[in-house]
Amino acid sequence: MERLKSIDNFKALQRRILSDVNPAIPTIVISAGTCGQASGANDLIRVSKRELLSRRLTDKIRLRITGCQGFCQMEPLVVVQPYGTFYPHVGVKEMSRIVEAVAAGQVLRDLLYVDPETGAIIEKQDDIPFFARQTRTILRGNEKVDPIRIYDYIESGGYSALMDVLARQDPPWVIEQVKASGLRGRGGAGFLTGQKWQMLADQRNGRGKFLVCNGDEGDPGAYMDRSVLEGNPHSIIEGMLIGAYGTGVTSGVIYVRNEYPLAVKHLVIALRQANELGLLGSNILGTGFSFDIQMVKGAGAFVCGEETALIRSVEGKMGEPRQRPPYPVQKGIDGKPTAINNVETWANIPAIFTQGAGEFAKIGTLQNTGTKIFSLVGKVRNTGLVEVPMGITINEIVNTIGGGPAGPARIKAVQTGGPSGGCIPAKMFDLPIDYQSLAQAGSIMGSGGMIVMDENTCMVDVARYFMNFLKDESCGKCFTCRKGTQRMWEILDDITQGKGTASELELLEELALVVKDTTMCGLGQTAANPVLSTLRYFRQEYEHHIREKRCSAFVCKDLVGAPCQSACPLGTEAWRYVAHLARGEYQEAYRVIRETNPFPSVCARVCDHKCESRCRLGTSGSRPVAIRALKRFITDHVDPSVFKAQPRVPTSPDNPRVAIVGSGPAGLTAAHYLSLDGYRVTVFEADQEPGGMLTSGIPAYRLRRDVLQREIESLLDENITLKCNTALGRDFTVDTLFKQGYKAVFLALGAHKSRRLNIEGEDLEGVYPAIHFLKEFNLQGKKLAKGHAGIIGGGNSAVDAARVALRQEGVESVTLFYRRLRHDMPALKEEVDLAIEEGIQLETLVTPVKIESRDGRLTGIQCVRNELGARDASGRRHPVPIRGTEFLRSLDTLVITIGDEPDIDYITSMGIEINERGTLRTDPDTLATSRGGVFAGGDVVTGPNTVVDAIAAGKKAAVMIGRYLRGEEMKPTEPVRVPQVYVAPCGISEEEAGGLRRAEPHTLPIELRKRSFSEVELPLLDEDAQSEAKRCLRCDLEFTEPRASEPELATAGVKTV
Amino acid sequence: MTTETISGVIGISVSGIIEKHAGDRGGLISILQEIQSRYGYLPAEALKTVAEQTGRSLVDIYGVATFYRSFSLKPRGKHLTSVCLGTACHVRGGAAVGEKFKRELGVAVGETTADREFTLETVNCLGACALGPIVVVDGHYFSNVSPVKVKEIVEKAKAGLDKVEIFRDQRIFAVEVGCPRCNHSLMDSDHPVDGYSSIRVTVSFGDEHGWLRLSCLYGSYTVESEFKIPPDAVLNFFCPHCHTELIGASSCPECQAPMVPMIVRGGGVVQICSRRGCKGHILDMGGSLPF
Repeated sequence: MERLKSIDNFKALQRRILSDVNPAIPTIVISAGTCGQASGANDLIRVSKRELLSRRLTDKIRLRITGCQGFCQMEPLVVVQPYGTFYPHVGVKEMSRIVEAVAAGQVLRDLLYVDPETGAIIEKQDDIPFFARQTRTILRGNEKVDPIRIYDYIESGGYSALMDVLARQDPPWVIEQVKASGLRGRGGAGFLTGQKWQMLADQRNGRGKFLVCNGDEGDPGAYMDRSVLEGNPHSIIEGMLIGAYGTGVTSGVIYVRNEYPLAVKHLVIALRQANELGLLGSNILGTGFSFDIQMVKGAGAFVCGEETALIRSVEGKMGEPRQRPPYPVQKGIDGKPTAINNVETWANIPAIFTQGAGEFAKIGTLQNTGTKIFSLVGKVRNTGLVEVPMGITINEIVNTIGGGPAGPARIKAVQTGGPSGGCIPAKMFDLPIDYQSLAQAGSIMGSGGMIVMDENTCMVDVARYFMNFLKDESCGKCFTCRKGTQRMWEILDDITQGKGTASELELLEELALVVKDTTMCGLGQTAANPVLSTLRYFRQEYEHHIREKRCSAFVCKDLVGAPCQSACPLGTEAWRYVAHLARGEYQEAYRVIRETNPFPSVCARVCDHKCESRCRLGTSGSRPVAIRALKRFITDHVDPSVFKAQPRVPTSPDNPRVAIVGSGPAGLTAAHYLSLDGYRVTVFEADQEPGGMLTSGIPAYRLRRDVLQREIESLLDENITLKCNTALGRDFTVDTLFKQGYKAVFLALGAHKSRRLNIEGEDLEGVYPAIHFLKEFNLQGKKLAKGHAGIIGGGNSAVDAARVALRQEGVESVTLFYRRLRHDMPALKEEVDLAIEEGIQLETLVTPVKIESRDGRLTGIQCVRNELGARDASGRRHPVPIRGTEFLRSLDTLVITIGDEPDIDYITSMGIEINERGTLRTDPDTLATSRGGVFAGGDVVTGPNTVVDAIAAGKKAAVMIGRYLRGEEMKPTEPVRVPQVYVAPCGISEEEAGGLRRAEPHTLPIELRKRSFSEVELPLLDEDAQSEAKRCLRCDLEFTEPRASEPELATAGVKTV
Repeated sequence: MTTETISGVIGISVSGIIEKHAGDRGGLISILQEIQSRYGYLPAEALKTVAEQTGRSLVDIYGVATFYRSFSLKPRGKHLTSVCLGTACHVRGGAAVGEKFKRELGVAVGETTADREFTLETVNCLGACALGPIVVVDGHYFSNVSPVKVKEIVEKAKAGLDKVEIFRDQRIFAVEVGCPRCNHSLMDSDHPVDGYSSIRVTVSFGDEHGWLRLSCLYGSYTVESEFKIPPDAVLNFFCPHCHTELIGASSCPECQAPMVPMIVRGGGVVQICSRRGCKGHILDMGGSLPF
């Protein structure tokens, strides 16, 4: 490369480069920063070169290898310019097709980005919501250049700002421009860059001064500096050159983290090329201005991001901070005046001079100008780098650009500013992002890490994580930091292990404040932030860990044990019966299930399987073990007689009698366990058959009636008397029960009243509340639906009602009307899928406004279409009606299923209180109501809920009523324990397990099921059940595996294969 | 080899490293970094030599060597495994991945397996946060790692992550090249390498001068040569037809040695590093501008 000797030389070179470019030739851009390379971009580069050569396209298509362009989630990705066609997740085969398509001037629609929210195919990069809402001043530069080619940078307009500055020959003007731009340092503290430069320029220049680029991006979770260093190193060099010219500095240092090998490599090449071209060195372009840049590699110390520590590290010493003042701008490297700016700050300098300081200052807010890059990572759908104007709200970043939560779990908080920052709860997401607002909320901007946390993130664990980091990274100079971070970590560690106490929590808070007040550098002064901010907003999580010994995020492993077990309201050892199944020990597996659950066959069909949603296989990227299907396999294969319920107390006619009102899962479970304890129980049922909602609500195609009856009968022993057609409030009262000699009463009435829509026409002929509709059919066989049926709602009852309607004669069509999107429906996903398979139409984003009628009979329904607005407290986007989109749908039957509530208006007259939600008020620990001797549980307390929760309530009621009758202390039940029993794993390795696909149960063919009530879900085949059970990660082994004697070997994963 | 001769050998090469970094900023740290990259750790003998030759006390050097996380005073294994424990990786299950590695390899963090195959380390953030949890083995990044994938990663590393199946891998393809000066083909069909026509050039190193045949497969680094070439030697390349030296303006992105340009049939320029053993190369499509 020829060394340039004048500004004119440069301009001639620039003209030559531009004239060599044929704008008609399309360019394939492959993003190959660290993220891209980690996802396979290098393979794409090779394949595209192979294709270009073999197809003789080298002069017809340009290929550009660039750094990261921000949408890391979609890596490896390819963009075709100048069209902006965006291809995400490109594989080797797709790359060949793309080359072929570009040559033919075509777009491959099947490879384009699909908006996960709307399902729309989007061709152009700028139209994708992730990009559309950003202002990409810095990041766009990454797309335009191959970082190892200085000519690319010049072609995209690079170094032109420097030429203007050099030609003007007015260093003070340079500083004035930076001041006028209002640029604040992007490293965290937000000091005004122009002011810092002025201070440096004002220092007497006897022995030289330094400009430093701080590329020690140590905040875990922040990587925007890496992306710029890797993707556009010349923009930093140009920024530093302009700064050096303005402040009269001749020596520059770029300090880069050692953990960024690609950034180091690209920087070395860029510095060499700039030197060779004469843009660095002495007498640059004959202007008399000289500037050199040396690169220094860090060696892995977080504290070196602190400026005084960085200076010591540049000097080749241990990176311990020192007291300020003197500030580095007075005494820095080798005691000489030094100004340190962050990578992103430097990258902004050429932008200020290209667009003009005035234009730059118009972006963002008055006090916070320009854009800021954030690394949006963690539990968010679109992860990557986002560049936005200062002052935008967190909500816009996380929910609009980020696309909201990554999975079904709700977003709980964002953590900004790394270990020195704090957590901001979701309720404060309207906060604008600027230096001041974040500080007020107890966090900091920091370098721009934004880690999204959801319900599966434990805030105590997060605080413990940061404290572990800080105790390791504390340089040890200040005693309070060195010991304080250590002690805080120990307390947090105790809490996550369930060993924390309330007094320790106070000590933690006190320690945090002491460390904050008594340390010297930024690391120590902010070290308490992770603790203080989580305590400020998430104190209840700490208390939950300390008091209940539970981690509701299922993170703290000593409190969680096996997630499947602790997620189950019954504490069923799912891991254990799955392990027995894998070993072929079916009877043993059945006994494990029945031990905790009196309704194994029912739950095997209709449980909402909380175990599966917490399965670690599912939360770590794969699909959860099909635990419910395995339970079904076991209950289908084993005769229930292998389990004999053992009475714990012999029956005697003198034992106290208990009245149970309601024979649903809660009532029958309580009756069963009270009977085993020797009590004599009478169960009162208002309907003509026992089972509650199991019988009257759940249709037979989901729960076979013979299976249900067999399971109910197995529980009714000689201690239990069942009285059907006997209703509380109609046939008897609580007082009469006590008068008849019952010593305790358990109210398990369920929730049998449907909520009303409160629109006109709800009482018309042809309009039915869900419960009425289902009960009439399930108990009486009455078929109320006819013609065109409509169902309003999105829960399980709605889907049940729709599928029951479909199966009734004379029904031509069934439509479900739901106000949000399909994936927002509260019904079980598999049920919705089956309903749609069966031909039920789903009309989403609609709200009914009026029921139409003629002669007192339903004729149709008027609805309005909705659009999705802001996210509400449930994390789902709120439906907002669109004016003028009303439409009419003709209907012959309408079922309203928008929720049920207990039918208990009469109960207050019996001395039992109701709460504001219309359910019974109970003590959550003991299930006692406001009246002595009366307990309550199940839907009548919780509102409509799952079968398994009702069974759990029944079990708890039996324990508590027993204690009450024996006059014992009414203490809460113990939380679920960690796995205790060792079941040897069978011979399959984990990677084989990883290769297995989740076994889904087969379903009855559609033609057979559409008009019949035969069971839809079929049991798994033997071999499918076996292999499915073997997918289990066996989280229990960590607790139960026999340990070898040597401690070191104990962690070595001894496997008995 | 006795301890004395080992320390003798280390002393000589360490002297070279110290000399190379004499004028550098952050001198001591860059010296230690280069020693570590050569030996995989900081041998005690090397630190003594550094102390003697730089005039800084051994205590001072030990202080720096133990302050920074990336230095190791213990020999490390053949495969360096770094599990990222950055915040983004942590909230996506990085800790469980680390635990699994500990159990799989049977070592604690910072330790090396008894067979010297693997060293397990954790790192605070590798900056690939969007793809976490991240694990880097021998410079290869693995993204979205879950505990289930750990065993597979270990197996792959044992087999060699750089190993490619040159005949099955579709990323590998043949490139025909010619001399940038006389445009004569450099392909030699009589002496195939990797089963394809080889690229024949003449090279010289010191007093030696002879032929060198390179595999024409892009992605294969197989070479055959007339005389034995020591590793790390920088060679001069010549066209066997016009005898012009093949030398361009740029240097290797990996090691800074001069690059050797050749023109590609079908369009473009390929440049390979002139250093024996270095895999640095640039393939420019239609590239009239090598920079």
